[in-house]
Amino acid sequence: MTGARGVQWLLLLPSLLLLALLLGLPLAAMLANSLQPNVLLSFTGPALDNYGYLLSRSYYLQVILRTLRMAAVTTLVTIPLGYIAAMLLRRLSGRAGNLAIMGLTFPILAGPLTVVLGWMALLANGGPFLGPLVAAGLIGPPNLLGSETGVVISLVQFVLPFAVLTLYTGLRQIQPQLHEAARSLGAGSLSGFLHVTLPLSLPSALSASIIVFSLAASSFISPHYLGGAGQLTLTTLVTQFIMATFNAELAAAAAGLLLLLMLAAVIGITAAIGRFIRP
Amino acid sequence: MRFLGKAAGGLYLLLLYLFVAGPLLFVIATSFNPATSFPAPFEGLTLSWYAAILRRPEFLSAAGTSAVVAALAAALAVVVAFLAAYALSRNGSSSARGAMATLLASPLLVPQVVISLAILQLASAWGVGTGFWGLVAAHAVYVMPFALRLLLTGLARFDFAVEEASRSLGGGWLSTWREVTLPLLRPSIVAGFTFCFILSFVNLPLSLFLTSPDTATLPIVMFAYIESRIDPMIAAVASVIVLAAGTATILLDRFLHVRLVD
Repeated sequence: MTGARGVQWLLLLPSLLLLALLLGLPLAAMLANSLQPNVLLSFTGPALDNYGYLLSRSYYLQVILRTLRMAAVTTLVTIPLGYIAAMLLRRLSGRAGNLAIMGLTFPILAGPLTVVLGWMALLANGGPFLGPLVAAGLIGPPNLLGSETGVVISLVQFVLPFAVLTLYTGLRQIQPQLHEAARSLGAGSLSGFLHVTLPLSLPSALSASIIVFSLAASSFISPHYLGGAGQLTLTTLVTQFIMATFNAELAAAAAGLLLLLMLAAVIGITAAIGRFIRP
Repeated sequence: MRFLGKAAGGLYLLLLYLFVAGPLLFVIATSFNPATSFPAPFEGLTLSWYAAILRRPEFLSAAGTSAVVAALAAALAVVVAFLAAYALSRNGSSSARGAMATLLASPLLVPQVVISLAILQLASAWGVGTGFWGLVAAHAVYVMPFALRLLLTGLARFDFAVEEASRSLGGGWLSTWREVTLPLLRPSIVAGFTFCFILSFVNLPLSLFLTSPDTATLPIVMFAYIESRIDPMIAAVASVIVLAAGTATILLDRFLHVRLVD
């Protein structure tokens, strides 16, 4: 039996090697590079000077805060929207339910680059909905392109399918008998929701929040095309350091800060929602 | 009252789906618009933007590069994820399985731009170019968790007793896998490959720092094109991708009954 167990763990080896060689090692090289001097800053490495530089300039602090704010707002908007949708979808069954889930998978598979093209058209000059109102002089031009709001709208649209699918899976795992039990004990639909459904769905709400925050904070395409140079986030800042100012060490430090920010957010979200999850 | 609630729910879902799919539908509509600027009012229907793609060899060769990268990355991801999913499903306590599955899902939490940068910087630390295989590496490590998730779902429904049965009938370890295990798990394997292939094919940020003019993927060529101008031709390219992704979604559902959610 121990032999069979050994074989089982041997089967895990390729995936662990893949992670170590293609993710762990590159990340280690990148973080080591972030501690080195460069064309802009001269110091004797390894030292944290690049991080100190990014954290002491108000311009870069703005970028960090913007990344955090956009991801947080996206999460706070998406989770309630997605939760209601998942509650409604849960009641669908058979063909309709199947189609509804496929409809959510499809934008994920089409990819954010194709979707963002649509947003560039829809947000420019008010697009097809607000555009006629602007032309008629009824409202001022919304100027969503190049604004933080525009980026957040597209981020919510991009992450919503992930949130709904995660919450839907979680809600479906709650046994329907529990609702009947709550009802037979005299619980109304609101108190049944508050005392049965909501507490049991918190683990999936937690994973949905982590997924949504991570996707939003690490998104590149939406801030690049819809935010532009005036609305840099950490991902677009990394790209600027590489492609415009050719500073690999500062790019590595900005990427390190992004990883740190996401790690802190995951811990924060887990602590905030985890408190309410009964073991 | 009950009817009103149902109607409100239906309306909510309709608006939500419109919001989620709207930008894609708008891109598809734009690709048929003869106007040369983007966005522009609709002037009619034309297929000329689709014909225009064929006159731009860089898009066609980039689509070829993307297909090769996606196929290699998806194949590597599925093989590695299958072995891991098999080991995790067959053995181990559920807590060990959960911890290992979380660890193996970790590439999802690393921004794709950062994966691209990290592989670039590892290569330069070693004094080599990233080349074609650096590109495949970035894509493979990113799509692997998606394959793992689909395969774990598939294996959760797999009855390991059929393996015992095969072995008790004299089947060897290898022939049991070849004749029994793999055929039964084929839907999950095919779905995992297809899904990883598409995710890699449409991905821009993973390739951002890893392509050269010889290895430019389709999203990279689109990215460069959009930097200089936007016209309905790029909407036509996007529409072809959307159509292919949509077809794959329907085929997976219809013939393999595999979905991302169960």
